[in-house]
Amino acid sequence: MTSSSTTSTSPLPARTPVLIAGGGPVGLTVAALLAQQGIASTVIEADSSFCDGSRAICMSRRSLEILGWIGADKPMLDKGLSWVGGRSYFRDREVLHFEMPAEPTQRFGPMVNIQQYYAEEFAHDAAIATGLVDVRWSTRVSNVTPHGNGNTVEVTSANGSTHRIEADWVIACDGGRSTVRELLGLQLSGMQYDGRYVIVDIEQATSRPVERLAWFDPPSNPGSTILMHRQPDNVWRIDYQIRDDEDPAEAVKPENVLPRVQSHLDMIGETAPWKPLWISIYNAKCLTLPQYRHGRVLFAGDAAHLVPIFGVRGLNSGLDDAGNLAWKLAAVLRGEAADSLLDSYSIERVHAARENIRYGAKSTEFMAPPNYGFRLMREAALRLALENDSVRSLVNPRQTTAIEYVDSPLNIADFGAFDGGPHAGLPAPEASIQTTGGAQHLSELFGQHFVALYFGDIAPATKGSGGVRVYSVRDTVAIRDGDIHDTLGQMRERFAAAPGTLYVIRPDGYVLGRWRNGRDIDIAAIIDKALQQTTRTA
Amino acid sequence: MTHAELDTTYTALAEAIARTGETRSPLLLATLALSLLAEQPDAASALAQITQAERLSNT
Repeated sequence: MTSSSTTSTSPLPARTPVLIAGGGPVGLTVAALLAQQGIASTVIEADSSFCDGSRAICMSRRSLEILGWIGADKPMLDKGLSWVGGRSYFRDREVLHFEMPAEPTQRFGPMVNIQQYYAEEFAHDAAIATGLVDVRWSTRVSNVTPHGNGNTVEVTSANGSTHRIEADWVIACDGGRSTVRELLGLQLSGMQYDGRYVIVDIEQATSRPVERLAWFDPPSNPGSTILMHRQPDNVWRIDYQIRDDEDPAEAVKPENVLPRVQSHLDMIGETAPWKPLWISIYNAKCLTLPQYRHGRVLFAGDAAHLVPIFGVRGLNSGLDDAGNLAWKLAAVLRGEAADSLLDSYSIERVHAARENIRYGAKSTEFMAPPNYGFRLMREAALRLALENDSVRSLVNPRQTTAIEYVDSPLNIADFGAFDGGPHAGLPAPEASIQTTGGAQHLSELFGQHFVALYFGDIAPATKGSGGVRVYSVRDTVAIRDGDIHDTLGQMRERFAAAPGTLYVIRPDGYVLGRWRNGRDIDIAAIIDKALQQTTRTA
Repeated sequence: MTHAELDTTYTALAEAIARTGETRSPLLLATLALSLLAEQPDAASALAQITQAERLSNT
């Protein structure tokens, strides 16, 4: 199921610039992203290899872009199953057919299903290929002592031996039960829902298209809610809600799970032989740390926040944490940025977690109604959705989207009037482009450097200043390095651009600022100011 | 009404029902329904909606 992982046998280092606690998908992606920026790290993972069970399976377009920055997008696409929409049924009738935004020229589909252990493997391979990442399996963090210039981290190997590592920075990516969080005495705050879902992966061949499928009160399991997702290797993910009076420990026993699965497969006409692969149980949690930076310890992924499963914001938001954090920490370690830049990581990603929790809570209120009011309203909505288009949107699963960094200290207010397009704090839109390298997508230019997009011919002196890549966006064929041919006019339209418009995009693909008349803007100075900024408090 | 606005009102009504409780919720819903019926353009459309709601509530 999982490929063998590289096991380093050399002695653990005495010091490391960055120690990453947790070799899951977020930790390995952070390591690979840092390595792209020339920063070495040591990854400490308690397990002996990639995760058991498929866990997070829906990777958003945004997550694929981030994985693209480390070169892990191709194996994800080769292995994963791309999908665009889904169907919801009330009993045996369809109440919703939804499709997420997609276009023929897109780089990635809106969502790709793939088992988490593949994502871990591809991120791991990308990290190892850089030669800058040291992954230590079967090793756990047993103590963290922050001090003025870093942290003394005690790690314990499988044989019980302990070792001390001086780490300038620690990134805790060690999951929902984070050891680092516990060692620092920090607690997640928020709430959780009582409604429990059993999660089952089974192996079964099918000829069905890849879609998200949901049934409310299906004849196969009256009163329950069932979700189905297709995964590679002939695997179905099946989630179903158990009754409030069911004992969770009993509910996950195969003798209680398999008959319900069989009944549902019978109902939908999936008759091929099947076998269970993995069974787990879940309840929706809305929890976050109030801050993700604690001195020189940073939190990311489930160690920082737990969001409801509905809407697939868990791993996807963890990868966005990685994309936000890596370039900032690299800039600090290279001495280009003040360490206060990392406060913006916390501000932006705590805000994103709260937004994800807000959307996730909405989804949960529909998928696992927490009280009589939500139960009754769902009964009404499902019935009415059979006949009235106007209420069908209530059944829509509200899948993950990139979160706007509202009120980020990095945001620069618009200079000049824009009629549309992304202002500071929004992710840059995707576009089909052509450079001297051939046909590309704009998102491929992000991930490592600041990118300036100037619509027109920019003064050659401005090109390449500082750590920024300056591009001239033209409506003619790209003939020089630094030219972008806006092949289909998508950039001009999506950026609401006119000749002279300048956008400065952060390495994580978010807009830093934009200028209607950008010809004489000192781009390097703008970026330097962003990197040196001290945190403004609300 | 936009989808987001419908979503907001859906949640608000669910929460109002939860606060009011199972016993008194029929009164809450009847009060709300009557208020909405009074805003209908004519009796025909109001009666059609009552007929639809009654039919769906028996499924």
